[in-house]
Amino acid sequence: MTSATAPASPGDVGTQANGTTSGTGSQPSRASRRGASGGRASGGRASGGRQAAPRRKKPPTAAGQLLQSTWLIVVVLVLWWVLSARSTNFFIPSLQQILEALGTDLTNGVIAGGALYSLSNLFVGLAIAVVLGVGLGLVLGEVGWLRRVVDPVIHFFRCIPQAALVPLIIGTFGIGQGPKMGTIAFACFWPILLNTIDGVLGVEPTVRHFSKVYRVPKPLYFRRVVLPAALPQIVAGVRVALPIGITVMVVSEMFASTEGLGFYILNSSATFQVPQTWAGALLVGVVGYLLSVLFVFAERRLLRWYYASGAK
Amino acid sequence: MTIQDSPAAATTHVMQVRGMSMSYGTGAAFNPILQDLDLDVVAGEFVSIVGPSGVGKTTLLRCLSGLLTPQAGTITVSGDEVHGPHPDLAVVFQDYSRSLMPWMTTRENVAFPLQGKGLGKAERNALADENLAAVGLAGQGDKYPWEMSGGMQQRVAIARALAYQAKVLLMDEPFASVDAQTRFDLEDLVLKLQHELGVTILLVTHDIDEALYLADKVVVIAEKPATVVDVIETGFGEDRDQLATKADPRFAEARARIMHRLKKD
Amino acid sequence: MNPTLSRPAWLLLARLGAVALILALWQTVVSAGLLPSMVPGIADVASAIVTSLSNPLFWGALGRTLLAALAGWMIATVVGVVLGLLIGSIRFLDRSTSILIDFGRSFPVLALMPVVIMLLGSTTTMEIVVVALSALWPVLVQTIYGARRQEAAVADTVAVFRIPAGLRFRRVLLPGAMPFIATGVRISSAISILVAVGVEVISQAPGIGRQITLMQQNQQWDVAFAYLFFTGLVGWGIAVGLQKIEDKLLTWKRQMND
Repeated sequence: MTSATAPASPGDVGTQANGTTSGTGSQPSRASRRGASGGRASGGRASGGRQAAPRRKKPPTAAGQLLQSTWLIVVVLVLWWVLSARSTNFFIPSLQQILEALGTDLTNGVIAGGALYSLSNLFVGLAIAVVLGVGLGLVLGEVGWLRRVVDPVIHFFRCIPQAALVPLIIGTFGIGQGPKMGTIAFACFWPILLNTIDGVLGVEPTVRHFSKVYRVPKPLYFRRVVLPAALPQIVAGVRVALPIGITVMVVSEMFASTEGLGFYILNSSATFQVPQTWAGALLVGVVGYLLSVLFVFAERRLLRWYYASGAK
Repeated sequence: MTIQDSPAAATTHVMQVRGMSMSYGTGAAFNPILQDLDLDVVAGEFVSIVGPSGVGKTTLLRCLSGLLTPQAGTITVSGDEVHGPHPDLAVVFQDYSRSLMPWMTTRENVAFPLQGKGLGKAERNALADENLAAVGLAGQGDKYPWEMSGGMQQRVAIARALAYQAKVLLMDEPFASVDAQTRFDLEDLVLKLQHELGVTILLVTHDIDEALYLADKVVVIAEKPATVVDVIETGFGEDRDQLATKADPRFAEARARIMHRLKKD
Repeated sequence: MNPTLSRPAWLLLARLGAVALILALWQTVVSAGLLPSMVPGIADVASAIVTSLSNPLFWGALGRTLLAALAGWMIATVVGVVLGLLIGSIRFLDRSTSILIDFGRSFPVLALMPVVIMLLGSTTTMEIVVVALSALWPVLVQTIYGARRQEAAVADTVAVFRIPAGLRFRRVLLPGAMPFIATGVRISSAISILVAVGVEVISQAPGIGRQITLMQQNQQWDVAFAYLFFTGLVGWGIAVGLQKIEDKLLTWKRQMND
């Protein structure tokens, strides 16, 4: 098996993929990753290093903590409300108008239909990317020579700005839902693939040797050993892919569509419904935020063993 | 509790501590660490503070260096009451590998606090090289700390404290994480530097032999919360030797006295 | 398991073979008519690539995109690093801003583009603003991470030697956080190009993304694919270059980890 023992060259898939794990803040490239073992420092959780001791003060109460983490948001919203209320610029509506537009279109179903359309594109595209990315990543992670051969190809495709694909894919296959899902899937595929490979490379050599010695059958080995061990890294890859997917979702709908949240925003701006344009943009932001919060929750549940085992 | 000096002598004291108390937490979690602690350090003196592990030595040193503010009592350095790090104090930390900045060369590490003092570049570098030479690292200024052994890194940390030109050097278990031979070398280096430069040194350690070998005065702290239980003048003079001094009957006697002090609950 | 692959020459040959295989596959699929007829064959794309090389229009478009991406990226880097060091080193700010930053970084900024177009028009300035707003977050978040992780011993050292705030910021906080900042800067370089091209695809802002859309609408598919190829090449070049620079700048970090 070359994957565990071959020292990864700087251009190798495994090492470079580190950058992709870092969307939500992770350790710098290669820290604790060098050396043959690779360890389980993957998943973007930094290791080592004593952190600055918090100043020894009275621990703040729960109410105090809540206040501390929310006061700035309240200030921002109030400032926005007050300042925009006096705006004379046609293109900067008051926050009140924006919220009213949002309320109207939320209740009459205009937005709900668009959101359903957009989100179904996103989820199907992401699901395809996960299945293909993880499947191929497991294979490439295990088969060292194949990984080394296709390494430049993978990096080239990963570096194509995903938005540039939108006109070509939609131009070729039409403006239906399928091509949009395909574009999202293509864009999300690469970070998931690279992180999966990275995760497989990080599997403890001891675990690998154990499986060999006990002659664990290949399918069982993939399903019960490699997949769970690489899971933290795979999840990190999906976390990176999610915002890319949302961005491509919006671009694809703004490029050519008659439905969806991106279309709602573009259509509103084209017809000079300024508050609606702002409302749509804000709504996409809120949806993006909610999805990432939900994702973190799901991750905490899915990777409970990982956090509990102190591997972070 | 054990002050022999008369108040009149206070002017020669470079550092004085009176009635210092420190605790963490409140209510059920209340945890007193230091209780009513007094300490006097005369200019040019080498004082060791010795106590068992976990007695609160690091808390004491953090209070003395101004990193922590005690809840009661006063600390004066050069006649000023201390409310934060004092310019006449420098600290050599136990954790040398972390207290040196890995992105700076050893010369830059030594010169860095001088930049904070507002010295010009040429002057900073000259002082850095001079002090690196004093700790036996002449010509090694362009190396990075991580290119050096642990003992050499601790020499850099000592050079940094010396270059700062403080009157008092606080050392927190400075030789705890090096091997025995390096430790002896560093101890002798510190003794030599102290005699040459006349700097005052306050060293915190859990090692009784080290405390006795280096110091003019050993302050024993023990109990919970910690307080001063004994003060011993060693009287070994300037010429010390790792073998001869430690074989001195006075050494064994003082050692026994300290161990006795630390044992009785 | 293939021992010969450890030899560089064989590896290169195998890699070229893989590329050839993919191209052959594409050609077969196109020739067999499995894809819609507008998808060009290999030869057409290759000749379009060669023609583009001597086309000043192409170089101008690519240059505009890169300049916009670079400007937005640099603004994002400076703002992100300064804000990040401040927020990460002051606990009160850190706590107060955490929800806002979480919101900001999960916000698909391209959705805001129509709003920014209303305010600034379909101009390069608009493009730079959208790029900067998108690329800011990885730098900001990574810098906050780096600044938070100051070693206790370093913090004590800085306090004991009474290092003034400005010097501390420049010589301790910044280099200490540098490995994290580098990661953030690398991520946002990719985002900058992605967003710059994205803005051009869906607005009238000039650049290579706009050219791809125009070529596709003009049915010049071979040229559109050639341009796509160049965007990938540029993105790849930047990624490799930044990795090289990072390796050089952060020698101390790598040594420490060995």
